[in-house]
Amino acid sequence: MNENGGYVLQVREIVKEFPGVRALDGVRFDLARGEVHALVGENGAGKSTLIKILAGVYAKDEGEILFEGKPAVITSPTDSLRLGIKVVFQELALIPNMTVAENVFLESFPLKKNKAIDWVRMNERTTDILLSIGLPISPRSKVGGLTVSQQQMVEIARALSHEAKVVVMDEPTSALSPNEIKFLFNVMNKLKKLGIGIVYVTHKLEEVFEISDRVTVLRDGRLISTKPVGETGTDEVVRDMVGRSITTLFPRTHPGSRTHAAANAPVLQVENLSTEKKLRDVSLSVHAGEVVGVFGLLGAGRSELAKAIFGLDRINRGRILIEGRELRSGSPSHSVKMGIGLLTENRKEEGLVLQMSVSQNITLTSIRELATLGLINRKMETERSREFVERFSIKTPSLRQKVMFLSGGNQQKVLLARWLMKSLRLIILDEPTRGIDVGAKAEIHKLIDELAKEGLAVLVMTSEMPELLGVSDRILVMSKGSVTGEFPREQTTQEDILAAAIL
Amino acid sequence: MEKALENRRVGVLKRIFAVNEFGLLISLAVIFAFFGATSHYFLIPRNLSNILGQVSLPLIAGVGLSLLLICGEVDISIGSLQAVAALPLVHALNGTHSLALGVFLALATGAAVGIINGLLVTRLKIPSLIATLGMYYALRGAVYLITGKVAVADRSGSELFFLIGNGKVFRFFPYSAILMFVILFVFMYILKNTTYGRRLYAVGGNADVARSIGIDVVKIKFSAFVICSVLSSVSAVLLASRLGSANHLAGTGFEFQVVAAVVLGGVSLSGGVGTLLGAFIGVLILGIIQNGLGMLNVNTMWQLVITGGIIIMSVAIDELKKRRG
Repeated sequence: MNENGGYVLQVREIVKEFPGVRALDGVRFDLARGEVHALVGENGAGKSTLIKILAGVYAKDEGEILFEGKPAVITSPTDSLRLGIKVVFQELALIPNMTVAENVFLESFPLKKNKAIDWVRMNERTTDILLSIGLPISPRSKVGGLTVSQQQMVEIARALSHEAKVVVMDEPTSALSPNEIKFLFNVMNKLKKLGIGIVYVTHKLEEVFEISDRVTVLRDGRLISTKPVGETGTDEVVRDMVGRSITTLFPRTHPGSRTHAAANAPVLQVENLSTEKKLRDVSLSVHAGEVVGVFGLLGAGRSELAKAIFGLDRINRGRILIEGRELRSGSPSHSVKMGIGLLTENRKEEGLVLQMSVSQNITLTSIRELATLGLINRKMETERSREFVERFSIKTPSLRQKVMFLSGGNQQKVLLARWLMKSLRLIILDEPTRGIDVGAKAEIHKLIDELAKEGLAVLVMTSEMPELLGVSDRILVMSKGSVTGEFPREQTTQEDILAAAIL
Repeated sequence: MEKALENRRVGVLKRIFAVNEFGLLISLAVIFAFFGATSHYFLIPRNLSNILGQVSLPLIAGVGLSLLLICGEVDISIGSLQAVAALPLVHALNGTHSLALGVFLALATGAAVGIINGLLVTRLKIPSLIATLGMYYALRGAVYLITGKVAVADRSGSELFFLIGNGKVFRFFPYSAILMFVILFVFMYILKNTTYGRRLYAVGGNADVARSIGIDVVKIKFSAFVICSVLSSVSAVLLASRLGSANHLAGTGFEFQVVAAVVLGGVSLSGGVGTLLGAFIGVLILGIIQNGLGMLNVNTMWQLVITGGIIIMSVAIDELKKRRG
């Protein structure tokens, strides 16, 4: 042990601000050699920000990072790698068309004297590394053909090829089967024996207690607790994760005003829905004027449910009814005709046409209604979109502004406006406030409330507990593709919901 | 009240400057002034009339190509198609003396090629650059085979056929330019004011979004391929009229001339961006540069080098502007 007490990584009083949010507020975190240190917290707690700072993706605003006791400057991903920190993100940073060996040595291919790539040595060393973590695959196989679990191992092998001293894993088990998880834990134990420190970011508390030595809880960008796992328990960790008053940020604007909703016939009925991708036997219903919140941790199947109902994913079994009429599977255009709207979680990739104007984006789905014989009534188009821009207070210099120049919150409102210009029966909102600052969040929550009051059925998929409790009349909890709990909002606690979500 | 009026006036000015084509118009004016000042022959009516006639071919095809680029695809077989489409035209004229039949067959040939291109891209999922590159070679080869590399002359003596490519109103305004403006304005209107136009932009801007809101992406792209090929055949008819024959070398390099011009005019190769006004100005700029350099007796080799430099420079300036945004 040297003078810094065996810590390979020490993070001191780190601060990171984004417009409107203090994502990290004086957080301390340290990691010993050969230790697995779990990092937990709700979405928005600051876990991702912290690991992105370690990875060199973000620059810290204040605070200090010590690596092996010496102050470290991390301004780019290269800095981070050179120090010996390897971050394995959920989105694996691999090149699918290259071989395993090429991926493992991507940053620094072993070279021969004449500067040509030394293929023989590269393949041999890759084989050695793979064997050391117990993965018998050929260094020459294409990474694209491997399973997610094997690809993860390639990332870990890459860390070993760099002789990394710290490995950060971001939700590594969210896409793994139980056997694969067991394998991963085996590998983690091998890394520990090599003296490598592991930062383990996860939502799954049972894993925390199975694999880690210590657990740190973050909440709202602050450090809440750091304890050895032997001195704490699931209940205590959950309490640390959620302990906050939510009502301040998310006022319930509709006390009891919509309780009559359940008396109507349901707008949406999902019966025993299963898909190839994820969903197992999901049943639910949403009534007119009701907001149903679907909570689930990452990989629980929320987005898949949204996509299946909208017809973007094919369904294997079960059926979906809109006001009693069965929905054609796998046809978004039929879903649109039946009065369903979907706000996807990826605004930019799946929602907006970035080069188009605000007005054109708003009218995109209802353009047929604004036209006769294919001719757009442009005056009506302008009037209608202006109406929505004003009603939703979308901040834009003009209707002709390209939508790419709007802030995230305003972009989201444009998408909401797009769907609400049509007369809908059901709107599905998948993570409607992801990446949106606090003020715009509150506005969107208010809009959701108004929509329900106007008689729309609303299904909100969210992984944010405050949002869930703030907007829903009824709460469904999903885990591993199934519904694992249903609660009326008035009679539930965050602990109950989390308990169902980690089932 | 007064303030509102003032705001509005500022708004109008701002809007003029903000029009994407504003920079292009300035360049056009500068180039025009330059040649006007340096060459005695540039500004005379006969030369201006020539320019109008010269740009009408690339513009008519350019309208179709712009539609295709806007929805996210490209067609580089249009030059070869110009040679192919002239064959049934001239043969029909020589055989039946019917111009109508000839034109119909030329356009039908274009439609057929467009359908094949569209099927290759939308059904077989071949990237359009590759599919139409294949078509570019295949069609040219077919013309060589059919003609034995000998031009097929028009022997019908049809005056109307001669006039469509060479006739002028008031001995100034070419018929071909009238046709060009009609096509330009019709498609400008379609792009701006119809649901079809809006869908072209949506498909090219983000095909996933288009699909997810119920737009039939395949149908839209397919239609754009057909329109592009048919309009290219229209330019083929004009060219055949000017040459008085179906020439196996007709349209060589035409595809790149058109691509360069519309891209110069701000139509994006990656889809979703561009206007026909821009494409029109792009075609004019290239046309005027080529004409003007000719007037100044710059040799053709230098003309190519200068044209290439201008294309690269102007697109580079555009990209820089975007980055500064």
